[in-house]
Amino acid sequence: MVRRSLVLLALSLYTAFAAGPFVWVAMLSLRTTTEIHRNHFAFPDPAHWEKFPEAWFNSNYGIYFANSLQIVLGAVAVLTIVGAMAAHCLARYPFRLNRAIYFILFSTIIFPPQITIISLFQILVGYNLYNSKLGLTLVYVAIQLPLTIYILESFFARIPQDLFDAARMDGYSDWEIFWRVALPIAFPAVATTIILNFILLWNEFLFAVVLITEETNRTLPLGIQRFIGDTQEDVGMIATGLMIAIIPVIIVYGFFSERLIQGMTAGAVK
Amino acid sequence: MAIVKLDRLTKIFDRAHAPAAEDVSLEIGDGEFMVLLGPSGCGKTTTLRMIAGLEAVTAGTLSIDGEVINDVPAKNRDIAMVFQSYALYPHMTVRNNLAFGLRRRQVDRAEIERRVTGVAATLGLSELLERKPHALSGGQRQRVALGRAIVRDPKVFLFDEPLSNLDAALRVSTRGEIATLHRRLGATMIYVTHDQIEAMTLGSRICIMNKGRFVQVGAPLDVYRNPMSTFVASFLGSPPMNLLPGIATDGQGGRTIKIGPATIDLPPDRMPPVKPGAAVTFGIRPEHVGLAAPAAAMPAGFAVEIMQIERLGAETLIVSKVDGFDARLIARVAGDCPMAVGDRTQLVADLSKAHAFDSSGAVLAPTRR
Amino acid sequence: MPWGTIIAFLLPALTFYVALTAYPAFRTLWNSFHKVLPRRTEFVGLLNYEQLVRDEIFWRAVRNTITWACASPLIEVSIALLLAVALYARVPGARFFRIAWFTPVLMSYVVVGILWMWIYNYDWGPVNVALRAIGLGFLAKPWLGDPATALPSLIFVTSWMWVGFNMVVLLAALHSLPRDVIEAAELDNCGWGAKLVFIILPLIRATILNLIVLSFIGKMKIFDLVWITTKGNPLWATETVSTYVYKRAFEWTTFDLGYPSTIAAVWFVIVLTTVLLLTWAFRQRDRLEY
Repeated sequence: MVRRSLVLLALSLYTAFAAGPFVWVAMLSLRTTTEIHRNHFAFPDPAHWEKFPEAWFNSNYGIYFANSLQIVLGAVAVLTIVGAMAAHCLARYPFRLNRAIYFILFSTIIFPPQITIISLFQILVGYNLYNSKLGLTLVYVAIQLPLTIYILESFFARIPQDLFDAARMDGYSDWEIFWRVALPIAFPAVATTIILNFILLWNEFLFAVVLITEETNRTLPLGIQRFIGDTQEDVGMIATGLMIAIIPVIIVYGFFSERLIQGMTAGAVK
Repeated sequence: MAIVKLDRLTKIFDRAHAPAAEDVSLEIGDGEFMVLLGPSGCGKTTTLRMIAGLEAVTAGTLSIDGEVINDVPAKNRDIAMVFQSYALYPHMTVRNNLAFGLRRRQVDRAEIERRVTGVAATLGLSELLERKPHALSGGQRQRVALGRAIVRDPKVFLFDEPLSNLDAALRVSTRGEIATLHRRLGATMIYVTHDQIEAMTLGSRICIMNKGRFVQVGAPLDVYRNPMSTFVASFLGSPPMNLLPGIATDGQGGRTIKIGPATIDLPPDRMPPVKPGAAVTFGIRPEHVGLAAPAAAMPAGFAVEIMQIERLGAETLIVSKVDGFDARLIARVAGDCPMAVGDRTQLVADLSKAHAFDSSGAVLAPTRR
Repeated sequence: MPWGTIIAFLLPALTFYVALTAYPAFRTLWNSFHKVLPRRTEFVGLLNYEQLVRDEIFWRAVRNTITWACASPLIEVSIALLLAVALYARVPGARFFRIAWFTPVLMSYVVVGILWMWIYNYDWGPVNVALRAIGLGFLAKPWLGDPATALPSLIFVTSWMWVGFNMVVLLAALHSLPRDVIEAAELDNCGWGAKLVFIILPLIRATILNLIVLSFIGKMKIFDLVWITTKGNPLWATETVSTYVYKRAFEWTTFDLGYPSTIAAVWFVIVLTTVLLLTWAFRQRDRLEY
């Protein structure tokens, strides 16, 4: 019994340590900088909810948010279709070179991003896609494709071949089998990749900072960085800005925590 | 009307390996229930999948009602198949599973509805139409799989080991349902299994396969009574036929075989004369071996020591070792057999039911009976 | 084989791969032998590579990154293992703990970076405030401003982020272990520690090694956190290869993309080799069936 309570105590302490910073920033986001400088660790009293609209309207947060949404949703949509098609194909047809193609696609997961980023900059400049939302969207599809194919392939491969044979005998074409049999059956895995890609790309910083410079095309992580530059010591306002970036992630996580954990851990447990 | 004809059909997956099916020829008559039976890996499923159109034919021709269908895609063959794993679409309700194949074929909605309802009623699925497969029991899933084939009203039904995922009791009752179904629909059915009881009870004819080839085709009892090779003799029947190695010796009419210390004379209608010195395998089914059976038409005795006794209630299986000879003899005797392990006794084989095979395993058939 | 169908299904993915991954990678290799200025590209042979060998900042960055990539897996996985094993004994609220611990990895490094800059703040950051409160005020320092503590402080931040993730994975692995094997060990008179060392660890070895490789790869790529917090300062104490490539390519006014490409190419080879070596060293010699 004593050991059990000790374990619980240790776990609670660790939980406080893991979650504490977020609680703190949530408190800061509801207090003004003057209040904060009086005491950095007090509860928001009164809670200054008006700081949220202020942060949203007094800076370009609305633009950043819309850009992020547009780029990330666009990339996730393309990723899901393109990735699922490739994964279905690799799982279903045992053609020659199948494993070679799978390995080549998958191995890019370990590539350090520097190996492509400088050339991507040159290429996008060459095609007038530098500093554009479309360019960043395409790059996001490319960087998340290996993980997407990896997760989906292992799921598609577990669908029994008999189902596809049955659909074939029912007169469905290869495309219809993918669209009407494989995709609906694989829905849990597809949902996992959608949520996972959404969060990873929502947080993406390196490619965005290299490929986007114009204010009107900035994504949220770039916006926050810019926001610190502008407001410097205005800790309260920055905290509000951080919360605006965190909240969508928390909402998605709140709804789909199990799926997300599944997706994030898919590569590690075998 | 559907006559399925296989003419020297061959399937090669990989040049480095033996063909999965080689030169298989067979004509399956209209309304016939043909069972393909064989050990796993013998090519029976491959043959079935070629008929279905799921595997391309490497060589030979496949035709239905005289029309060659080698290159006709599966969907245009008017064939339905029941899969071993049932292959129900897990994201669709029972109703949609049944209707899925029809929707694709431009059958109008009212007709689909009529057929689905009808089939569901015959199979006792009416209450389950709105459920998804995961909410069904094994037996119910099996019936949906059957229903999905029936609702299409195809020329030919194919079954790929449809009962192997069911438990023993359900297997027996579903076997009965399939037999009833065949009688009622009168359609041509081809059924793959490795279970000889299914084969014996369902088939109007059975076709035994081994290593990619058809080794014997015929009515179930005919194949059971007259196996053409030691393979069929030992594959069909449980326990299998006793096979004792022997050598032909000088004796009356070239039908004397020496088996270990025993010498027996086979009757003329069981074996043609052979040259002395030739290797002959003597075969006798366990039910034709008994304890000094007075009813035996042509008794031949073997002195044995009993190694093992399996009392099954209605009958008893005696596994014994023939004296002075490294061979086992199994007898199927009455349930109240008084013998015990270790007893020495005399087992009697009824030679009027005996079989003889040559050194290659082919039957030594007397001029056709 | 239905080649037409196969190609149709694979083509979009392969197009993305070739255009935005394979081609850029080769172009970077090509760049590494050139001086690449905005309007002019000039072949320089191995000049960039020679320069790289003598570039002290680069080697400093390599040292920092490798320190990070080696320290992190050890810290993260060992702490996570301890906590996971503790939690394995069915604690109430396990689901809540799991969700809470996982939260940090879902946050962008930008958010995490700003947050920890505050936590490490000299005047009012919780770390120094706590130290002063318990009378250890002399230990208070600008954690990210001192060359001696800047890198360890950042390593601590990544550990804070990733321990939870590792723990959730290890818990999943523990829960997938066959109960009867562990019960058999109990019957064989294994105590709690013996069970852990002789039964549990060998059975989840593959997962542990996977986590180590995963953590290693992640730290070899690290950029965002450093860029937000220190930009490689003070005195290159936190410079990583990623930040150095970025600086040379887009911040320094040399305008040459050839030299940073050389760094990227060399680093690519180093990462690839070490990861391959690691997976080779960690390979499962025989599959465990249970």
